[in-house]
Amino acid sequence: MISPKKVLIIIPAFNEERTIRRLVQEIKKIYPDFTVLVINDGSTDHTAEEALEVGAFLIDLPYNLGIGGAIQTGFKVAFEENFDIAVQIDGDGQHDPRYLPCILEPVASGKVDLCIGSRFLNEHSGFKSTFSRRIGIRFFSSLLGLLTGVPITDPTSGFRAYGKKIIPIFAQFYPVDFPEPEAVMTAKRYNAKISEVPVNMRKRLGGISSIRYLKTIYYMLKVTMAILIDMLKKKQKEISYGS
Amino acid sequence: MGVKTFAIFVSIFIFLFVIELIRRQKMTFKYSISWLGVSSVVLFFAFNENLLRKISDFFGFQLPSNFIFFLLSAFFIFLSLLLTVYINEQNNRTESLAQTIGMLEFKIKKMQSPEQKK
Repeated sequence: MISPKKVLIIIPAFNEERTIRRLVQEIKKIYPDFTVLVINDGSTDHTAEEALEVGAFLIDLPYNLGIGGAIQTGFKVAFEENFDIAVQIDGDGQHDPRYLPCILEPVASGKVDLCIGSRFLNEHSGFKSTFSRRIGIRFFSSLLGLLTGVPITDPTSGFRAYGKKIIPIFAQFYPVDFPEPEAVMTAKRYNAKISEVPVNMRKRLGGISSIRYLKTIYYMLKVTMAILIDMLKKKQKEISYGS
Repeated sequence: MGVKTFAIFVSIFIFLFVIELIRRQKMTFKYSISWLGVSSVVLFFAFNENLLRKISDFFGFQLPSNFIFFLLSAFFIFLSLLLTVYINEQNNRTESLAQTIGMLEFKIKKMQSPEQKK
C-alpha cells in the first residue's frame, strides 16, 4: 500500500552493537524496499560494523552529536535524495518494527505530516515505565497540549514518521537540546498536522536511557524552559524541494 | 594622580597588545574592535577628567570611580554575552560540518560500491 513512496528509515545509534543487527534485520524482513539508514553517532563499539553486515546504509558521524544532530543528518539525506517519508526509530530495540505500518499509514496517505507512535494510547500496552518518568511524560504532554493545541500522550517518543512537508524543515531546523518534545513545537510552528497512533514498546534490549531517574526533575525543568524558549523562535524562511 | 597614570598605562598596554595580536594574525578585526574601543574610551576619559566627573554626576553616581566600575562590569557582561553568541555559532557550524562530513563519506562509499544500488 505504501510501496510506491520512497521511504527512509532513520536509525540513530550510539553504542547499540547488541541491538542494531536484529533491528535492521527485522525492518528489512517487513519492508525489503525501504532504505534503512543507520546514523552512527560516534559510537565506540561495533555498531557501525554490525549495521553494515546486515546491509544497512551507514553514516558515520565523526563525533557524538547527540540524538538531535544524528536525526537531523537523516533528514538532510532524506531531503537531498528526495524521499517522500522519513521514519525515525531508536537503535536500542525499544521500538517494535512491527508497528511501522501503523505510524507510516497516516503519513503515507497524506492525512498528517508527523505521526508519533505513543505507548500510552494503547490501554493494554505492556510498557512499564518508572513512576518519575510517567509523571514527567504526563507533564510534558499537558504542556505541549496547552501550547500546540494538539493532544499528545507521548511527547518523548522517538518512534515517528515524517511527511514530505516537514522533511526540509527538519533538515534545516531540527532542535538539538531535547529533540523529541521540541520537534513537536517546531512542527507546529510550520503548521504541520500532527497525530498519534498507539504502539507497543519493548523493554530496552540494550543501551541506557538518556533520561536518568535522579535527574528527572532537573530534566523536566530544562525541557520546560527549552519548550518555552522555542515559543519565542521566529519562523524562518525554509528551503524547499527544487530550490 | 597615581590612579590616572595607572589607568593610562593599562589602557595603552591593552591597546598596543591588541594591535600586536592583530599584527601576528591572532585576532581579527571582528574580535579586536571591542577591546580597541574600550581602551580608547578609557584613554579619552583619563585625559578629560572633568567630562568624566560631569557624566558620572549626571547619571547620579556619587563617585566617578563608581561610574568607572559600573562601566567596566557593563562592558564585561556585554562581552561575555557576545562570546556566548560566538560559541553558539561555532557549535552550530561544527555540528553541521560533522553532518556534512558524515554524508560525504556515505556518498563516497556508495559510489565506490555500485552493487549497493539505491
